[in-house]
Amino acid sequence: MWAYVVRRLWQMIPTLLGVVLLVFVLFNLFGGDPAYVLAGKISNPEQIDNIRRQLGVDQPYWIQLGIFLKQIVTADFGASWSTNEPVSHILATRLGPSLTLLVPLLIIETLVAVGLALAVAYVRGSLTDRTVMVICTVGLSISILVYIIVFQYVFAYKLGWFPVQGWGDSFWENLVRYASLPILIGLVVSIAPNLRLYRTFVLDEINQDYVRTARAKGVSENRIMWVHVLRNASIPIITHVMAALPGLLIGAFLLERFFSIPGIGREVILAVERSDFPVIKALTVYVAVATMIVNLLADLMYKAVDPRVQFE
Amino acid sequence: MPGAACNGTGGEGAQYRRPALATLATGVLVVLVWLALAAAHAAEPRKVIRDVFPAAETGFDPAAVHDLYSAGVVRAIFDTLYTYDYLARPAKLVPNVAAALPEVSDEGKVYTIRLTPGVYFQRDPAFGGAKRELTAEDVVYTYKRVLDPKLRSPWSFLVEGKFVGMDEVVAAAKKTGTFDYARKVPGFEVIDRYTLRLRLTDTDYNLPFVLAHDALSIVAREVIEKYGESDGRTMSNPVGTGPFKLGEWIRSNKIVLDANPDFRKVVWDFAPVQPGDEALVAQMKGKRVPAVDRVEIYVQEEDQTRWLAFQQGELDFLNMEGPLAPNAIEPDGKLKPELARRGIRLDRYVEPEIRYVYWNWLDPRMGGMGKAQIALRRALAMSYDVAAEIRVVLNGQAVEAAYPIPPGVVGHVPGWKSTLTYDPALANKLLDRFGYKRGADGWRTWPDGSPMVITYASRPDTLGRQLEELAKKSYDAIGVRMASQRDRFPELLKIEKQCKLASREAAWIADYPDGDNFMQLFYGPNAYQSNNGCTAIPEYDALYKQSARMPAGPERDRLYMKMARILEYYAPHRLTVSRYRNQLVQPRIEGYRRHPILTSTWQYVDVAPAGK
Repeated sequence: MWAYVVRRLWQMIPTLLGVVLLVFVLFNLFGGDPAYVLAGKISNPEQIDNIRRQLGVDQPYWIQLGIFLKQIVTADFGASWSTNEPVSHILATRLGPSLTLLVPLLIIETLVAVGLALAVAYVRGSLTDRTVMVICTVGLSISILVYIIVFQYVFAYKLGWFPVQGWGDSFWENLVRYASLPILIGLVVSIAPNLRLYRTFVLDEINQDYVRTARAKGVSENRIMWVHVLRNASIPIITHVMAALPGLLIGAFLLERFFSIPGIGREVILAVERSDFPVIKALTVYVAVATMIVNLLADLMYKAVDPRVQFE
Repeated sequence: MPGAACNGTGGEGAQYRRPALATLATGVLVVLVWLALAAAHAAEPRKVIRDVFPAAETGFDPAAVHDLYSAGVVRAIFDTLYTYDYLARPAKLVPNVAAALPEVSDEGKVYTIRLTPGVYFQRDPAFGGAKRELTAEDVVYTYKRVLDPKLRSPWSFLVEGKFVGMDEVVAAAKKTGTFDYARKVPGFEVIDRYTLRLRLTDTDYNLPFVLAHDALSIVAREVIEKYGESDGRTMSNPVGTGPFKLGEWIRSNKIVLDANPDFRKVVWDFAPVQPGDEALVAQMKGKRVPAVDRVEIYVQEEDQTRWLAFQQGELDFLNMEGPLAPNAIEPDGKLKPELARRGIRLDRYVEPEIRYVYWNWLDPRMGGMGKAQIALRRALAMSYDVAAEIRVVLNGQAVEAAYPIPPGVVGHVPGWKSTLTYDPALANKLLDRFGYKRGADGWRTWPDGSPMVITYASRPDTLGRQLEELAKKSYDAIGVRMASQRDRFPELLKIEKQCKLASREAAWIADYPDGDNFMQLFYGPNAYQSNNGCTAIPEYDALYKQSARMPAGPERDRLYMKMARILEYYAPHRLTVSRYRNQLVQPRIEGYRRHPILTSTWQYVDVAPAGK
C-alpha cells in the first residue's frame, strides 16, 4: 500500500504544475490589471508603472511564473494587494468560520441523505417513495438564492427564530446561534440531490443476490439494509462525500455573504472583485492540493470498506 | 424495592439521587450564566451605535486607502488640519487641529498654519508609554509621506507638484528607492512646534480643502516606523488623535471603534441651517464629542440582509441606495408612513456627484473639433433619455444633472438650463444634415458611407446592463447601431486610462466641495488621468487655467458658466444625473445629519436616553 501512496504523491506534482500553469494563464489573460484600481481616482501612467513594478506584474511572464512556483514551495504567498494582509493570515482566520458552517452541514447532510435514501429505496415504487422523489425534484429545481431570501425573511425576520445575520467570538455561539439557519438552508438545498443519488446507489445493491441470500438465511431487514446494503453502497457514497470535502476550503459564499459570516467564500469573491492575485493564487493551489489528497484518501478508504479492492 | 431505595444503593437509589444532582447542576449553571451575563453587561459600554458598510474595508492607513468605507474609519480615528462644519450647507471649512483657518499670502502661494497645542495621539507602545503631542513636524511628515513613491498613495495627486522643492525629493526617491524625509525643502517650513508655513509652486486657493481630505490625516512617524509593512503602508495599526480608536476588528466583517480616552475636549457647537436642525441642535448643543462610547460597524454586502437587520433594530443607520430605496421611500421622496410611525427618520440629499456619458475625444470618427463630429456628439447627447435613467434604472433616486458642478458644491448654479436636452427628433435632423444617412436597413452610415457602429462599454452587473439597454434604446431611436463592450471594472478602467474606451457612463464624486474638483475633469492635460473622455477643447482649457488661479467667488462662477456652455456646444459628454443619498436613522439616535463630504460623522451623534 505504501508504494501505491508514494506513487500517487509523485503523480500530484505534474497535476499541480498543470493547475499552476492554468491559473497563471487565466489570470494574466482575464484577471484584469490591478494597478489601475489600486492607483485610485486620478493616476498618471508613471504612477501606474510604479504600482506595476512594486507588484511585480511588470516582470516577464516566466519570472512571474517562477515567483509563483517559489511561493508554492515556501507556502508563502505574500500579502493581499488590496489590504496588505498576509495571505496566510487570511486563510487562517477565514477558514474557521467556513468550517463552522460547512462541517456540521456536511455531516448532517450525509447522515440524513443516507438514512432517507435507505428508507425510500426499501419502499421503492410506493407512494412514499414517489412523493419523496417529487419533493426532491421540486426542491432541487429551486435556486439556493430563493431559499436564502425566503428563509432569512420568514424564519429570521418574521418569526425571529434566528438572528438575521451576525458572527461572534465564541465557537458555540457561532455554531448554535448564527450558523443554525445557514446550516438549515444548506441542508434543504443539498439533501434533495444527494438523496436521489444515494437512493440509486442503494437500489443498485438491493436487488443483488447477496441480499436475497441474507433474507433466505433469515437476517433481519434492518441488518440487511444498514449493514449489508449500506456497506456495498458506501463506495460511491464515499466518493461523493470526499469529492465535496475540498469545497470546504472555498466555503459557501452565498450563505456567508447573506449571513455575514467572515468565511473564506466571501474572501474569494472579494479577491476576484479586487483582482487580488496573491489571494486567488493561494486559494487555488490549496484547493488543488486538498482535492488531490482527498482523492487519495478516498481510494484508501475503498480498501478499508471493501477488502476486495486491490491497489495497483 | 423500598429497602434498596432507603439504603441508597442499587439502581433505584441512583435514580433518587439524580434529581438532586440535576438540581444542583442546574443551579450552578444558572449562577454561572447569570454571572457571565452580569459580567457581559458590566463590560458593555454605555452608549453603542451600530452602522453598516455594504462593502468590505481595506485597511486604515490614511494615505493608502481609497475606498469610501475605510476612509470613514480613518476620519473617526485620525484628524486633519481642517474639517467641515457639521451642519453648514454647502459644506464650510472650519479648523480642526489647526487653531484657525490658514493665513494666505503671496496670491495664494504661501499658507501659514498654526496648530492647537495640547492635541495628543492615542496611547500606543510606539510612543514608549508617554503621551505624544501632535506637532508641526507630524504634519510635514504626513504630507511628505503621501508623496513617497514606495507607498504608492492613490491620493498623491492631491499634493503632487504643489510644494516647492518636493518634486526634487520625489525624483531622488524614484532614483534611489529611498525617500529622504529629513531633507528640508522650502515648501514645508516648520517655524516652531505649533506653526508651519507651506510654500506652493503656484497659486492655489483650494489648498485648505485638500488639507481637510481624509488622505492627509495626520500620522506619527514612530507609529509608521513601528508598524509599517514591507511597502511602508500601515493598514492594520491606526494610531491617531481623533475621537475614536480601533477596538475589535474582524476583517471584512466587523469593526469596533471605542471612544478615545485621550481625545481633547471638543464640545458640540453648531448652528442650525436647514429645516429640522433646530431640534437637532437642542438635543446636542454643549455635549462632549464624541457622545457615544462605541461604534460597531458591520460589513453586509447583501441588500436584503442590511434591510432586515435595520428593521429588526440591529442597525442604527442604513443607506437606502439603488434597488433598496422603494422599500422605504415613496415616489415623492418621502419616507413610507409605516416607517415614519415607528419614529424612523429619513435624511435625504443630493450627493455631490455627477454622472455623465462621454464619447472618446481621440476617436477619429466621434472625437475632435470637426463640425460633423460635433453634430454627431450633440445628436447622441440629445438622444439620451435621462428621465428614463432616473425613473427606470435608478428607481427615481436621482435628479437630472444640468451643470457640471453638482448641488452642495461651491460653484453650483441652481436652475441652470442646459442647451443639451432630450430631443430625439432634433437629433435625427442634425444627423441627416451632417451626412449620417440612413441605409436601406434603417441604420445610419458614417459620412463616407461605411456602416456606423458606436461602442458603449459597461460593467457586467445589473446597473451596467440596465444602462447599456437604455443607451441602446436611445441610439436605436436615431438609427445609430450600438455595439456593447462588457468588461470588469478594472479592465474598463485600464482601457479608459489609456484613452481607448469609446464611450461609457462615468461618475465623479467630490473629493472636496469646490467646483474646481469637477471642472478639472474636462481639462485637456488631465487626459490619461481624470479626464475620462480625453476631452481637449483649447478654449475650455484656457479658461480652466485661468479659473484654477482664482479664489471662489462671482468672478470665477462667471468663468465656470462660460466653460459649461462650451462643454454643451462641443458635447464631449452628456451630463446625466446626481443621485440621492437616502439615509435611514433609528429613533434612538440623536443629532444625526448626513454630511455630503465628511466620510463619517459618528462623533457628532448620541443615543437617546432609555425610554425617551
